Amino acid sequence: MGRVLKGLAGRVARRYRSMSIQMVISLSFTVVAVVGMVFMGLSLVLRFSDSSQRLMVENSQRILSQVNMNMDSYLRRMMRVSDAMYYRVIKNADLAEDSLMPGMELLWEENRDALVSIAVFDGTGQLISAAPLSQLKPSAQPGSGQWFRDAMNKMENLHFSTPHIQNMFQDPDFGYPWVVSLSRYVQLTRDGKTESGVLLVDMNFAGIARVCSSAELPNDGYLYLIDSDGELIYHPRQQLIYAGLLEENNLAAAGYPDGSRPEEFAGQNRYVTVKTVGYTGWKLVGVVPQESLREAGREMAAFGLALLLFSVLLLTFLNFRISAYISDPIRRLEQSVKALEAGAESVEIREDGCYEVRRLGHSISSMVSTMRHLMEDIIQQEGQKRRNELEVLQSQINPHFLYNTLDSVIWMTEAGRYEESIQMVTSLARLFRISLSRGRSVIPLTDELEHARHYMNIQQIRYKNQFTSQITALPGTEGLYTLKLIVQPILENAIYHGMSSLQEDGVISVTARREGDDLLIQIADNGMGMRPEVAASLLDEDRPDIRTTGSGIGVRNVHQRIRLTFGPQYGLSISSEPDEGTVVTIRVPALDEQAARPYQREESL
Amino acid sequence: MKKIRTDFIQLLILLALGVGVILTLVLPGLGDSRPRQSVTSISVILRDTDTTLWSNTRLGMEQAAGELRVELRFLTLSQTNDAAQQLRLMTQELEQGANALVVVPASDVLPGEDLPTDAVVVSLESLLPGAATVVSPDNDSLGRQLAQAAASDWKSGPVLLVQTAPENAAMIRRLAAARQALEAAGVPVTEVTCTAVDLETELEALVTASGARQVMTFEPSATVSAAAAKEKASLQAELYGVGATGRIAAWLEQGTITAVAAWSEFAAGYLAVERAVQTLDGQSYGTEALPFTILRGEDMYEPDNQKLLFPVMS
Repeated sequence: MGRVLKGLAGRVARRYRSMSIQMVISLSFTVVAVVGMVFMGLSLVLRFSDSSQRLMVENSQRILSQVNMNMDSYLRRMMRVSDAMYYRVIKNADLAEDSLMPGMELLWEENRDALVSIAVFDGTGQLISAAPLSQLKPSAQPGSGQWFRDAMNKMENLHFSTPHIQNMFQDPDFGYPWVVSLSRYVQLTRDGKTESGVLLVDMNFAGIARVCSSAELPNDGYLYLIDSDGELIYHPRQQLIYAGLLEENNLAAAGYPDGSRPEEFAGQNRYVTVKTVGYTGWKLVGVVPQESLREAGREMAAFGLALLLFSVLLLTFLNFRISAYISDPIRRLEQSVKALEAGAESVEIREDGCYEVRRLGHSISSMVSTMRHLMEDIIQQEGQKRRNELEVLQSQINPHFLYNTLDSVIWMTEAGRYEESIQMVTSLARLFRISLSRGRSVIPLTDELEHARHYMNIQQIRYKNQFTSQITALPGTEGLYTLKLIVQPILENAIYHGMSSLQEDGVISVTARREGDDLLIQIADNGMGMRPEVAASLLDEDRPDIRTTGSGIGVRNVHQRIRLTFGPQYGLSISSEPDEGTVVTIRVPALDEQAARPYQREESL
Repeated sequence: MKKIRTDFIQLLILLALGVGVILTLVLPGLGDSRPRQSVTSISVILRDTDTTLWSNTRLGMEQAAGELRVELRFLTLSQTNDAAQQLRLMTQELEQGANALVVVPASDVLPGEDLPTDAVVVSLESLLPGAATVVSPDNDSLGRQLAQAAASDWKSGPVLLVQTAPENAAMIRRLAAARQALEAAGVPVTEVTCTAVDLETELEALVTASGARQVMTFEPSATVSAAAAKEKASLQAELYGVGATGRIAAWLEQGTITAVAAWSEFAAGYLAVERAVQTLDGQSYGTEALPFTILRGEDMYEPDNQKLLFPVMS
């Protein structure tokens, strides 16, 4: 169980981590709200169910009390008729002289809506008087009737019978009315002597039915009336019960005390409320099927569920909108940051949404702005650094060469070789003028080649024409620009490493030509050369600097400057064979004046 | 992409909740098992010229109509047992929108094929061809037990069996069963055919002609006519009949009628309407015969017999 819960928690946590903030907010709010509403809904449903049941019981009891009052009133009326007949008519009459009929007919007339008949019998069951019908059927035997026996046996009481057909009197209309008989023992006076008798008041059953049927119980309920033995007196579907088409739990209900209780009858659960009617021992029984309550409960539950779902729908919609209001600015910020990560230059960072998100957007915006400034600074610094490097590299050329040249000028002047010393100084001056080139690093190819020519002039004088030089610019190179001071270090290397050991016939040639978009400057000598692997290693950046007796650090310096300026596809290539000579090829882009301008501007930054 | 997915999921959730709301509002109404709210129209077509003898049946029908939201229309014939007119009335009532018919057949050879095949017809007394069901006591058993009552009182002479509806299967079966039971008991029988209306004037002659000491009729109208004729002519022949009306009860009490076969006509009327409604609703129900009792004057006021003879209207 613990492992299952732990696994579930793990899955939820993993799911949570992969969810968007909007989903987390909306789901969390919705789940909490739904749980709360379900809890409240269930509480309300249970409370409603309990209240409905209590209300139903209270209603049933109230209705039964009302019917009981009406029934009591009805029965009291019958008892008053009986009392009036006995105490005002019978008690005041001597049967030997007086007739009971006037008083009896008067009473019957007054109560004909509720009465079927009034009759007085003597103690043997012989009819003394009756209204409105006064003739007994030949077959009638009043003395054997239960109502008669009850009255004679319990003289002090009034006796109510169960409903029965009144069949004693001859009726020209063949009427067979259903009645409830009220009988009592009476003392008759005949010739001044008292004798026993029975007073019978037949109540119209319809009166009782009317009292009972006027009540309507809630939830398809109904009520019925039974006597103390459980015999049906009234039931809304009485004839169906008599016909055997329906059953009622009347016999069991006779044993119920007053109050409400559930019962199960004929596979049906129902609430039964019992109320005993005074004087008679009859019982009013109210029945409310629980199915109708359940039906009402189901309808209420369905309506509640619809209401709950509708509330959840509204709440979910609101949660989605609120979570979107909160999370959309965050998502936009995230997308902006992602775009920045991807290298987008122009990214809009919106500062909207809630206060915290606006602050965050503002902070990111500030941060990006700062970052851009920093990057520009870094680029500027990098440019500056590169210029510094170039300057350092260029500055590495001069000192030894200048020292040696000046030493040679001194030496020639001392030797009286003024012509040559003048030529050397002139070339040196021209060499430095081109070297400066107003501080520009990209100069016309003609200037660069002239710079090389002056350098070779100086060196030829120094080396007593131990070698000859030839500098040629082929057609197509006119007007092209190149990085300055890239030929002279190669020539320097060729002189010191290629020509120094030769006694005569050394030749160094410089040829500039155009090859497509590139400018190729080839420096070839017929000096002692070197092994190809040595030639290949000369450009290796990891190779330690080897100081030579030349005017700088040579080819690697040039190679690095070209690559720094134009990119890695440009630079030097060296081919050499021992005792054959060396060819160094400089490859730079073929820049015209316009194309060279950005490099000059960059230099000026 | 993630936003689109989230929006899609949200839309699905909202749609599901919306559908849930609609279903919770609509489904309880669809599955409503409460009684029908519309009124059903049922026409009751008797085989008599008035409803006097069918008052208890009518009470039962009206009770069922009240409970089952049924509108009843009672129709009688201009001439007793006029089968052709009854068929015309049946067709006419169905054409005029009656949802079902409750018929007391004048004849069991009614050309039922003239009726629509989907017409719901419930018959009383005897099974009409094409009817969904019949509400009736067991006619064979009724005729037999009534005959046994007559046989137990028999002293001499033939028993006159009066056939008042020779086209009615219920009457035919009751009479045939009675004849069989009497003959089995060794009681001589004489059978005559006479309409119920004519019986009131012709019974005396029939009794005289046959020398019968006992007369048996097999339908209420015939029993009433025979009792009236007996009372009028002060006939001595004992009368055995069928029915449970107030008049019959009075004659039973007076001894004019010796015994009747009675069943709860109230229950018959109630069941007829109920079964018509159940057939319309496609429900199933039992088809057992109605119980009946042979009543004599001396035991008619037994509590159970009172309830049978005199319906209590609540």
